[in-house]
Amino acid sequence: MTAITTAPPTPSPLVLRRPAARSIVAPLATLTRRRFALSAHTPREIVVPLMTPILFSVVIAPALAKVTGAIHGIDYMSFVAIGTVGLLVPLNCMFAGIGVIVDRQSGARRDLLAAPVPRSLIVFGNLAVALSISAFQVVALFVAAVLRGAQFDARPTGVVFFAAAAVLLAVAMYGGAEILANRISKQEEYIGAVPAIAIVPWFFAGSLFPISALPTFLGAFAKVLPLTHALAVMRYGLLDGRATGLHDIWGMTNATAMAALSLLVVAAYAALLLSLSVRVFSRAAVK
Amino acid sequence: MRDISFAVAQGEVFGLLGPNGAGKSTTVGMLTTTVRPTAGTARLMGHDVAADPLAARSVSAVVFQEPTVDGALTGRRNLEIHARLWGVDPTTSSTAIDDVLDSFGLADLASRTVESYSGGQRRRLEIARALVSAPEVLFLDEPTVGLDPRIRFELLDLIAGLRARAETTVVLTTHYLDEAERLCDRVAIVHEGRIVALDAPTKLLAGMGANLVELRVDGDASRALRKLRARGLAGDDAFAVGATLTVPVHDRSARQAVAAIAELDIATGAISARPPTLDDVYLRLTGDRLAA
Repeated sequence: MTAITTAPPTPSPLVLRRPAARSIVAPLATLTRRRFALSAHTPREIVVPLMTPILFSVVIAPALAKVTGAIHGIDYMSFVAIGTVGLLVPLNCMFAGIGVIVDRQSGARRDLLAAPVPRSLIVFGNLAVALSISAFQVVALFVAAVLRGAQFDARPTGVVFFAAAAVLLAVAMYGGAEILANRISKQEEYIGAVPAIAIVPWFFAGSLFPISALPTFLGAFAKVLPLTHALAVMRYGLLDGRATGLHDIWGMTNATAMAALSLLVVAAYAALLLSLSVRVFSRAAVK
Repeated sequence: MRDISFAVAQGEVFGLLGPNGAGKSTTVGMLTTTVRPTAGTARLMGHDVAADPLAARSVSAVVFQEPTVDGALTGRRNLEIHARLWGVDPTTSSTAIDDVLDSFGLADLASRTVESYSGGQRRRLEIARALVSAPEVLFLDEPTVGLDPRIRFELLDLIAGLRARAETTVVLTTHYLDEAERLCDRVAIVHEGRIVALDAPTKLLAGMGANLVELRVDGDASRALRKLRARGLAGDDAFAVGATLTVPVHDRSARQAVAAIAELDIATGAISARPPTLDDVYLRLTGDRLAA
C-alpha cells in the first residue's frame, strides 16, 4: 500500500483559548426544560402510570376496606392509598426511562453528548423531570384518595418524612430505570422488564398488607427492598404515628430513629443507583 | 484506526474520503469525544480531546450521519437548546438563530415540530443548529447520505457556502467522490483504518494524468500490463485490478493512446478513455473501488 502525504497548509499560530468556566445550573435547566417539553409531547408517559394506582386507590382499596376494616388501627383505604404511592412512583420512573431509549434511537442525544457540558447533567435533567412528574402524580393520587374518603394526618414533620422518602424512592427508581434503559437496546424489551422492577416488589413491600403477615423468608426479603422502607416512612409521616410498619422492619421502639434508619437505607439505594446510572450512561455514551 | 496522523489548518475544508467501514466516522467520533481512543493524541484548536474533552467540545459542533434532532420539538427549540448548551450569550442567541434559519431557508418552518420536516429540511436544520454556536471546528459526518439527488445537490450548495465562513474549519467525511472534489481543500483517503493518500484533490488527480484508458482484458491482465509497459504505452502508475487495466495517459492524447493500444495484440473486451477520478486514485492505492 502506498501512502501519499503532503504537509498541510501552514497553520496560523494557534492561541489556546480556554473556555470560560461555566456554571452547571444553566445547562441543567436547559436539559430539564427539554425533557419537560418532550414529556409534555407524549402525555401517555404521564397518564399511563397514573391509571393503575388511581384505580387501586379509588376503586379497589375502598372495596377491600369494606372487607378488611382496619390494619393496626389504620383505615385500610388510607393504608392502601400510601401503599399505592409505592406503585405510582416506580411505574412513573420506569416509564420515564422510555424517554432515554427514544432519545438514543431517534432523538438529539448525540448532539447533547457533543455539548461542552458534563454528560452527567443529561441524567440529572431527566431525573429532575421524573421527580417533578412523580410529585404531580402523587398529589393527583392523594386528591383522588381524599375525595374517596381516605384520611391523613399531615403534620409538618410528617410531611417532611413522607416527602423525603418519596423523593429518595423516586431517585433510586429513576437510577434503576436509567441503568436499564442504557443496557437494553429495544423499547419493547424495556417495557417487558418494567413489571418485574416496578410492580413485583410492590407485592412484598407492605403495600397492601403489613410485612409481618408475610412468611418469615419473604419478610426478610421485604426488608432489603428500598420500597418497604420508603412505604414505612411514608406511612409513619402521614398515617401511622405509632410507626407499626417501621417496627415490623427494625423491631425498635424509637419511631424517629427507625424512620431515620429507613430513610438512610432508601438514601443509600438512591445514591448507589444514581451514581451507577451516571456511570452506565457515560460508558454507553462513549463507544 | 491505525496510526493515522493529519493536521488541518484553520479555515480549511478537510475531507476524509473512504468507503463505509474505512474508519471515517470513528475518526470524527474520537475528535468529538464520543469514541474513546485506545492510543495516540488528538487536539482541536489546541485542546486535547482526551485530557480536556469539555474544552475540545466547546470549540466544535457536529452534524452526525444519522438524524439527531428532537422531532417532537420545533426547529427553533432545537436550535435554542443547542445555543444554551454551547453557552451562546442569551442576548445574542435569538439573533444568531434567526440568521441561520434565514440562511438555510428554514425561517418559515421554525415554529413547526421537526417531525413534520422532510429529510432535506431536517438535514438543513442540523447544519444550521451546528452553526448557531459559531464553532471553530465543524464536523460534517456524511451529511448527504440517504438524501435524494435533488436535495443532495441543494445541500452541497449550502455546504459549499460554508467556505465563506473563513474562520470555521470544516472536517467532512464522505464516500461520495464528487463531494470531496467539489468541497474540500484537501482530502485524506482512508482505507481500512489508515490514510493512504492526503493532498488537494487536484493534486491527487494530477498524479493520474489528464486522461486514462481503461481496458477489459480477456486473459491475463498482468501480462497485458507488462506488454503495455514494454511498448512504452503504460508507466509505473498503470495498474491491473482483476481483468481491468487502468492506464494513466501523460504524454499523448487519450485518442492516440486508445489507438496505440488497439494496435497491440491484446484481446480486450472493451476499451475506453476518460478523465481520472478520486476513485481511480483510491483504486490504484488499495485495489478497491470507492464507488459502488
